[in-house]
Amino acid sequence: MTALVEEKKVEIEKGDVMNGRVIVITSGKGGVGKTTTNANIGTALARAGKKVVMIDTDLGLRNLDLLLGLENRIVYTIVDVVEERCKLKQALVKDKKNPNLCLLAAAQTRDKTAVTQEQLKDICEQLKKDFDFILVDCPAGIEQGFQNAIAGASEAIVVTTPEMSAVRDADRIIGLLEAKEEIKSYKLLVNRVRPNMIKTNDMMSVEDVSEILSTPIIGIIPEDAGIITSTNKGEPIVNDEKSLAGQAYANVARRVMGEDVPFLNLEEDTSVMGKVKKFFSGLLGKEK
Amino acid sequence: MKDIFTDLYNKVLGFFRQTEKNQEEESTKDVACNRLKFVLMQDRTNLTPELMDRMRKELVELLSRYVEMDKEALELGFEQEGNQMALMLSIPVLRAKDEAEIEATLAKEDEEKAKLEENKEAEPDEASDDTAEVITDADNSIADETDETDTDETEEEISAVSDADETVSKSDAVVTKPVSKTATKTETEDKKVKAVK
Repeated sequence: MTALVEEKKVEIEKGDVMNGRVIVITSGKGGVGKTTTNANIGTALARAGKKVVMIDTDLGLRNLDLLLGLENRIVYTIVDVVEERCKLKQALVKDKKNPNLCLLAAAQTRDKTAVTQEQLKDICEQLKKDFDFILVDCPAGIEQGFQNAIAGASEAIVVTTPEMSAVRDADRIIGLLEAKEEIKSYKLLVNRVRPNMIKTNDMMSVEDVSEILSTPIIGIIPEDAGIITSTNKGEPIVNDEKSLAGQAYANVARRVMGEDVPFLNLEEDTSVMGKVKKFFSGLLGKEK
Repeated sequence: MKDIFTDLYNKVLGFFRQTEKNQEEESTKDVACNRLKFVLMQDRTNLTPELMDRMRKELVELLSRYVEMDKEALELGFEQEGNQMALMLSIPVLRAKDEAEIEATLAKEDEEKAKLEENKEAEPDEASDDTAEVITDADNSIADETDETDTDETEEEISAVSDADETVSKSDAVVTKPVSKTATKTETEDKKVKAVK
């Protein structure tokens, strides 16, 4: 006991006791990009020098490890921590590139009942002391897995796409988040946006989605084939500075940190090929 | 060769027709937005279409005292304005009733109500005969079960209903009220009751 108190004193003297922000990333509907969003925002925050831990709470269907390329490094999972087979710190897997970034993986062989809301809350509280950001990756659905994931969080990012079913599910999630007192703020991230379809009025615009859900936007991510290739490689797209989706995710991270960053103009093709195309079309235009 | 040209011609023509059509019709984005808004209102309120219909009927009943309106064109629904949900009622008014008319209807209602209570107190047997008959027609299950001795009991129930309800206006209402109280009644049965009466 005395040892514990002493330890705490030392920490306070050093001034490095943190009070991390716990942000849950959720969506209701599956396949809209929760895990991708988690991996990218986490990586971007760590690149900005923040200490970040990501918790995968999708027990039985874990994927965050794959997106980060850490699947071969996992020794202990969140269930091992809860069942006291290891200490919390032992279960944190460090990222390959960025020492600021850690992952607490989900157990692949267990189901949602293996961890309770209180246990998750407790883990978040412990991690708050050592990290700036705790990002909780929430499973799809609104059952116990969801309730567990939001248990320790005080902020939420609701991921949706400009599709009816995703927006409807997001509305349910927002209703549940609103009912939970501990959640102080929630924002919307609209993923897989196709500017060309919005232009021809074949897809709801981000403004439409935001208005229908009456929720402010924290990010707009364009549909990008690079997401698939980056997942193939196990490296978040935010590491690729040329990618539009990567830039968009980096901007989301900056907004999370409190910066006021304007939204990207997705209609303009800023890739190298786009610039080449623009150059030639400019020439052709002059010839005419 | 000719086929290729006609095919091409049709394709080109089809392309232009398609673009014209798109401009006239509602875009799929608008369709999606409208459908979503509607379904979210239902999700958020938990009000079933049956309950909405009942609310609509009761509103019509109440408002007809003051205005003459197009009951068929009346629209009732939820709308969202920012964070606030609003219940929107749109009533095409045919004619606003003047004060004398309104007073007259209200007075008539009061009169009917008073009469009703009087009837109940003074001649309970007559009233019970009248209503019991309708009940037997409207609801067979009750008719099968009720003997002559039981009718008095049923009548007591009914008068309790009309007591509680302040909107009873005409003598018809006394009859239709107990019917509409049984939630499972359909509209056709309602009409039948009126016809019987």
